[in-house]
Amino acid sequence: MGMFVLLPLVLPLTAWPVARLAEQRLHPRTATRLLTTVAAVMALASTLCLGLLMVVGTAQLPGNPLPDGWSDPEVRAAVPYDEIAGRLAIPGLLAVAVACGRTLWRHRQVRRRAHRALAGLPGTSVAVLPDEEPYAYALPGGARDRVVVTTALLDCLGPAERRALFAHERAHLATRHHRYLLAVQLAARANPFLRPLRTAVSYTTERWADEDAAHAVGDRRTVARAIGKAALHSRGAPAPTLAGLAAPGPVPRRVAALLGPAPAARSWPSLFTAVGLAAWAATAGAAISAMSSANSAVTMVLILHAATPL
Amino acid sequence: MAEQERRSRRRGQGELEAQVLSALREADGPATAGWVQERLDGDLAYTTVVTILSRLLDKGAVTRERAGRSFAWTPSSDEAGLAARKMRKVLDGESDREAVLASFLTALPPGDEALLRELLRQAEAERDT
Repeated sequence: MGMFVLLPLVLPLTAWPVARLAEQRLHPRTATRLLTTVAAVMALASTLCLGLLMVVGTAQLPGNPLPDGWSDPEVRAAVPYDEIAGRLAIPGLLAVAVACGRTLWRHRQVRRRAHRALAGLPGTSVAVLPDEEPYAYALPGGARDRVVVTTALLDCLGPAERRALFAHERAHLATRHHRYLLAVQLAARANPFLRPLRTAVSYTTERWADEDAAHAVGDRRTVARAIGKAALHSRGAPAPTLAGLAAPGPVPRRVAALLGPAPAARSWPSLFTAVGLAAWAATAGAAISAMSSANSAVTMVLILHAATPL
Repeated sequence: MAEQERRSRRRGQGELEAQVLSALREADGPATAGWVQERLDGDLAYTTVVTILSRLLDKGAVTRERAGRSFAWTPSSDEAGLAARKMRKVLDGESDREAVLASFLTALPPGDEALLRELLRQAEAERDT
């Protein structure tokens, strides 16, 4: 097993280049699927390895309920730096479990409370709320999927731009974007190295819905104008990000992308481009993560089985 | 099982609030809880109606004034307004709402505003030519 058990904990670093490049160079649909799959595989592999390390760590603790054989020197020898790695893995895995549990719980809570807020309204697919804060959401699930939009946002858009807005929100619902978002969010909780993928996917899902909306209304410029106008009107909303720190934020990038040509729907980039290389590196990283963790798991089970007198 | 019951009851509360509010909106001027109860064909106990009205008061959807020994209630928003208030509460309580609800907008940092205006201006100019 050796170092293999530690590899999946750091291999998420191989996904960083593609997280940066995919949002600019890949079709947003391809980028979303690729990044989400890579994030999910890496998160599962990393959590599995954390679990294996925790078994070794727990076996060292006095008074643990595990069979004596599990603290066998042979078991400990299978893990590099067994004392440190094992001890760190215990709080590590607990933190992952708590963080993922909280994320899931909050996700359900927000969805349920949002549906409950709309309970008194007629069950139409679009809920228009009289509110002076402009916002729009795609609210999945419940009795039915709904698009929630405020009068303030509708007021600042023309008829064609409103159609673009609804097309955008319906695209989120039709292609189940909340599942990708939840998956990358859980992955980012499981291994903090996967956070850039979460940021990238929340951007690529917006781009994906933008492109679908552009296709539906037949004009990329209309979608760009809708996003731009809406964003300018909602200024004054608290901006949690540090402004002017780095590259332009997501809204201008989305507008610029829509003002440019439509992205090619080629499903997989060639290896001989920067983004292709990055995509293959991330895929290889995910594959190695999966194989190392599987290898470690099998080895660990065999060693433990041999060490446990039955 | 108990969880499901609790959930259906809580969802029921949202609908009850909407029902009481819409009944109140049919009144000409301020109405008492008893009037609302009658209006709902006595489906709800008097105390339930009062509880729901107080909850609507907390949410700013109704106002009340003292009329003799009880209160007279006046609606200050409609069902959509009530839903908007509740939704805002859900969203305001959630710092990380983008993670749950795919939204049309993300907050615009100040530096982006000028860039965005420039992009839109260019788009307009190209369309006009």
